[in-house]
Amino acid sequence: MSHEQPSNTLGIFPRAWSEEQAGRIPGNIPIWVGILSELTEFAIFFVAYFVAKYYYPDVFAQGPQGLNTSLGVANTIILLSSSYFMAKAMMHIRLNNRGKCQGYLWLALSCGCFYLIVKTWEFYWNNLQGLSTSTNEFYTVYYYMTFNHFLHVGWASCAVLWVIFRLRAGHYSAEEHSGLEALAVYWHMIDLMWILIFPLLYVLR
Amino acid sequence: MKKFSSLEWFWVILIAITLFNTFLGEQFASTAFVSILVAVTLMYKGIIVIDHFMELKHANKNLRFLMRLYFIIFPAMIIATIFF
Repeated sequence: MSHEQPSNTLGIFPRAWSEEQAGRIPGNIPIWVGILSELTEFAIFFVAYFVAKYYYPDVFAQGPQGLNTSLGVANTIILLSSSYFMAKAMMHIRLNNRGKCQGYLWLALSCGCFYLIVKTWEFYWNNLQGLSTSTNEFYTVYYYMTFNHFLHVGWASCAVLWVIFRLRAGHYSAEEHSGLEALAVYWHMIDLMWILIFPLLYVLR
Repeated sequence: MKKFSSLEWFWVILIAITLFNTFLGEQFASTAFVSILVAVTLMYKGIIVIDHFMELKHANKNLRFLMRLYFIIFPAMIIATIFF
C-alpha cells in the first residue's frame, strides 16, 4: 500500500481536504496554519469585547466618543488601500511583470508604515486626553486589540520588505511565487481583522 | 482613459462602505437599525476581501468556508448586542 503524499500537504488532513478535492491552497499550508491561529487569537479578543460590553453597556456606549474617529477612518482607508496594492502586486507577478509587482509591493509597504505612524500618533493623542489601559473596561479592550493589531502590521511590513528583496533577487516569477502569495494572504488577514475592529471600537455605541 | 478593473471597483466600494458606516456612527445613536446595517455591510466587506483580494473565491472551498464563517459569526454577534 502506498503512503505517498502530494508535496504540498502535511499528510495529516482528511482526503476531502486535499487540494485535488477541495481546491488550490493560496500560498502554502504553513501560512494557513499561522492565519487560522491568528484568527483564533483575535476571535478571543472579539469574544472578550462582547462579554465586556454585555456587563458594562454604558461604558462601551461612551467609550468610542473619547477616541479620535478621524484617525480610525484614516487607518481603515490606509489598510484597505494596502490590500488593494497587494492584490495588484499578485496580479502583476502572474503576468511576470516584476517591475510593476515591486512597485505595488512598495506601495503596500508604505501603507503599512503610514498605518504605524498614524496609530502611534493616535496612542499619543489618547495619552494627551488622559486615556490609558486602566481608564475603564472599554479602553482596556481597545488597547489590547489595537496594540496587538499594531504589532501584526509591524512584523508583516518587515515581511513585505523581505519579499521585495526576494523579488529583486529573482526568486519569484509567474510560475513560482508561492512565498509572495503566502505573504499576500497573511497581509489580507491583517486587513480583515481591522475591518472587524474598526466598527466595534469606533462606530458602534 | 483606462477603465476601472474589478479590483479598483472593490477598493472604491470598501472605502465607500467605511465612510458610510462612520457617518452612521457619528450621526446616529446605536439603534437596532444602525447595528444591523453596520453588521451587514461589515459582512459584505469581509466577503469582498476574502473572495477577491485573498482570491479564495475559486480556491480551497474549506478555507473559504472557514473565512466566511468568521465574517458571519462576528457580525451576527453585533446584531445580538441589540438585546444587551
